[in-house]
Amino acid sequence: MTGRQKAIGFFITLCVLLVGAAILGWIYWIVITEKLTIVQLVVGILLFALIIAGLIVYTVFLVVEIKRNEEHDTFINSVTHELKTPLASIRLYLDTLKTRPVGDAQRQEFYDVMLADVERLRHTVDQVLKAGVAREKRRPVFRTPLEMGELARECVDLAVMRHHLQPGAIALEAHDGASLTVSGDAEELRTVITNLLDNAVKYSGSDVRVTVSLAAPSPDTIWVRVQDRGVGIPRKQLKRIFKRFYRVQARGIRQVKGTGLGLYIVRTIARAHGGRVFAQSEGEGRGATFTVELPRATS
Amino acid sequence: MSRVLVVDDEQHIAEGVRFNLQADGHDVVVAETGEQALDLLLRDRSPFDVVVLDVMLPGKDGFAVASELRTAGQYVPILMLTARGRPEDVLRGFESGADDYLPKPFELGILLARVGGLLRRRRWNEQDASTAADTNDTYTFAGRTLDFSAMEIRARGQAHRLTQMECELLRYLVSRPGQAISRRTLLEEVWGLHESTDTRAIDNFVVRLRKYLEDRPASPQYLLTIRGVGYKFQPESEKPS
Repeated sequence: MTGRQKAIGFFITLCVLLVGAAILGWIYWIVITEKLTIVQLVVGILLFALIIAGLIVYTVFLVVEIKRNEEHDTFINSVTHELKTPLASIRLYLDTLKTRPVGDAQRQEFYDVMLADVERLRHTVDQVLKAGVAREKRRPVFRTPLEMGELARECVDLAVMRHHLQPGAIALEAHDGASLTVSGDAEELRTVITNLLDNAVKYSGSDVRVTVSLAAPSPDTIWVRVQDRGVGIPRKQLKRIFKRFYRVQARGIRQVKGTGLGLYIVRTIARAHGGRVFAQSEGEGRGATFTVELPRATS
Repeated sequence: MSRVLVVDDEQHIAEGVRFNLQADGHDVVVAETGEQALDLLLRDRSPFDVVVLDVMLPGKDGFAVASELRTAGQYVPILMLTARGRPEDVLRGFESGADDYLPKPFELGILLARVGGLLRRRRWNEQDASTAADTNDTYTFAGRTLDFSAMEIRARGQAHRLTQMECELLRYLVSRPGQAISRRTLLEEVWGLHESTDTRAIDNFVVRLRKYLEDRPASPQYLLTIRGVGYKFQPESEKPS
């Protein structure tokens, strides 16, 4: 049991005891007051109800605040790790190049390693900044007509290259019907698909088989689905995973590295475009499907 | 030539460390997970002279790996690497059985020096053990025998194996009987840590040593806490008998 869980337990117990004491006090007051008028009774009930409601609201706020602190701590921990690991690697290779004789081929290899680490650092910084921007309310979306099939193709190619995957590891299923056009911000929608693809790859382990498909479930909406055959998500956590800083917790799932911001960013962007995102999973070890629903642009 | 096991799932760091240790003439094996490391050390009984262990590993983390090794009686020196440099993490590292600790990002020179230090101590201990026949490196007090060359404590009819750092700490305290020594001095002199490591890291070692030495570890007679300073070794019981 962590200190925070203890604190939550303590405040809830305290709240229950105080509410109990308030009710007992109220009953005692009724008993000792001999001639109680209706008005007195009603005013009394209201007063005590108010006190009890206040106590409960106060406790709920306290518990929410404690939980938020905890989430914030996990976030700091994972961001620390995501920033320090590539930094440690870059430093290690620079120190090596500076202090040891290194052959030409090896030197090129070291440069590539450091470039990959810089890329990882950039990605983490980007996610943190994007999550910050996404939080701003009434943020303008720069809309242009976008063909989602094309956008998805770009993102798939990029992901295959970035994660060094076999060409067929991420399959893009073409949509037979008319082109699926969305009015939105290309950069932001690219982030949506890329984040979902990154997760699908990350949680697939060594056997990456991801399918991206497009569909039109109704005349005025379109779906972009990313389906993996990875570790899956416990049913209870299917909604929570979109919360800021939330990371899937399950015994079967190994500590996968990340900031806990990716899906939060996906959801905020989907909502800013008038759409939504949801996750489905048959449970742990049975893969997951993420669906982004966006309004179809009328042409 | 020494054999070093590097346990880190971050390929870049594992390969960088491997390159440098190999350049210094060591034989290096890389394990990507804690389970792999445990298999190598416990199941295959591969002989290693030092283990460089990352904390944040997929599956079993570094803390779990270190304590499992110690419970199984594997006392190979462990240098722990971690991106989390908070005092609690350092503390947990030592508690789980690490001998030394280095926060990421680290300086290459320091990493190599730390690995070198652990290897050197191990060699000294081995030499001590092989020439121990007549120049026995032992210390006896109040019916307890500290055998530094065999790295064990024999007390109350039982023998307890010590890890490298438990042994070093005990040797340091015992060689200065009756002197109060601060936690900071111990960290600097025994571990060679000069960073702002939390000095309470020592306490876990002392708790373990007391379990081996004291009749009642909760009210120690030999390894005494000096409030606000640190520790003192008192070979004769101070309490009136």
